Amino acid sequence: MNLFFHVGRYFTLLSRAFSRPEKHRIYFRKLFVEIEQLGLDSVGIVAIISIFMGGIITLQVAYNMSNPLFPSYLIGLGNRDTLILEFSSTIMALIMAGKIGSNITSEIGSMRVTEQIDSLEIMGINSASYLILPKTLAVVFIFPFLFVLSVFFGLIGGLIVGPAVGAVTAPDYINGIQYLFTPYYVTFSMIKTLFFGFLVASVPAYFGYFVDGGAFEVGAASTRAVVNTNILILVFDLILTQLLF
Amino acid sequence: MITIQNICKSFDDNLVLNDISTVFEPGKTNLIIGRSGSGKTVLLKSIVGLHEVDQGDIFYDDRNFTQMNHKLRKKLRQEMGMVFQGGALFDSFSVEENVRFPLDMFTNKSQKEKQERVDFCLDRVNIAKAHKLYPAEISGGMQKRVAIARAIVMNPKYLFCDEPNSGLDPETSLVIDELVHELTVDFNMTTVINTHDMNSVMEIGDRILFISEGVKTWEGTKQEILHAQNKKLQEFVFANKTYREIRDVKIEKES
Repeated sequence: MNLFFHVGRYFTLLSRAFSRPEKHRIYFRKLFVEIEQLGLDSVGIVAIISIFMGGIITLQVAYNMSNPLFPSYLIGLGNRDTLILEFSSTIMALIMAGKIGSNITSEIGSMRVTEQIDSLEIMGINSASYLILPKTLAVVFIFPFLFVLSVFFGLIGGLIVGPAVGAVTAPDYINGIQYLFTPYYVTFSMIKTLFFGFLVASVPAYFGYFVDGGAFEVGAASTRAVVNTNILILVFDLILTQLLF
Repeated sequence: MITIQNICKSFDDNLVLNDISTVFEPGKTNLIIGRSGSGKTVLLKSIVGLHEVDQGDIFYDDRNFTQMNHKLRKKLRQEMGMVFQGGALFDSFSVEENVRFPLDMFTNKSQKEKQERVDFCLDRVNIAKAHKLYPAEISGGMQKRVAIARAIVMNPKYLFCDEPNSGLDPETSLVIDELVHELTVDFNMTTVINTHDMNSVMEIGDRILFISEGVKTWEGTKQEILHAQNKKLQEFVFANKTYREIRDVKIEKES
């Protein structure tokens, strides 16, 4: 019953969040602020994590393909497909749920406990729309760019680490990342990132919006938001993989 | 004028407001007083629609607020201003931006007109050199005054204040009280203040509603409160020895 209550309340909140804004110009301006705060500020962490993960995947593939019958360019191919299919979409979304999701929950939750949301309502402003719509659109908009960046930096990571430790030569690695490229993999992952972007913004916003209490509850809500967003990302990953392949 | 008729509100099985009816008149500071946990804040939040009442009606002039749909409520709320207990200023906005925010959202005034209005409101609450500061950079008293400026920027017909003096020193409390009272008279607003500050009661209580355990227990003016025979009210208002002495002296003088 509790699950149905939360699902119902989540969709009711979304219907309020996606209703007509009071003033488009202000929402539009807020959208760009959110793109900067939630998206552009995440570029650094995405780059760092992707470089390391790209390097680690390259090493793992190399050490597990010690059979001389396997051509070494498959190491590059393995890294590329792992990044495109799962790492840069799903794992990056899980990491972003921690960074962006907790940020959204604590920001909206703090506004709730300090009565700033009530204050918006009293002014006649749709608080759900004002607070959640720009954040959700910003994250959905920025996620495909973060995905592309993650793939790029992951491949760079492999190119740095692979030849550096002697696991693969640079020409073989570069040959591998171009070999048997399937464009649909990118389309598939782009679709996933749009779904994940929506979850990463809207689920934590839900937990923040309905916080009841004080600072302790805001912290607890942040934790719940990240855990639930991560579970939902994995559930949707499973469903979308089954549907799109 | 705000009229509330027989409103009841409960949370789960806990009845917080029980059959409360009263009238809040325009141009007067109407106070809701009562002990902590007596239902004052729930009553105030029910009047403005932040809590849905279980039973009863709330009329803004002749408009039944409880029967209104979401769209009509949003429109009516543009005639309301509210000062929350903690100020509820937006942390990410400067003082000036906080006050300008309702104008940006609901008016098509030019930047110059908006700035003039913001300056007027901040000037009215005696905030002179803090326009560019953020809420975290100003004192509690200033935050309350900025919250009042934001509440009056749209020329509201109805002003609500939830414990505007909480956490303030007596001198600043007096300044806030006088300010709210002046604004109420100057703009002929219907002002409803939720307080348990006895200084406020004695200074600006044009009309006082005393609530005890969710029930309206007494209603009257600050003059009448001295002679009120209600035991619960007496215990609450004159809990302080100094107030009891002042009351006795006043009654003695009158007689």
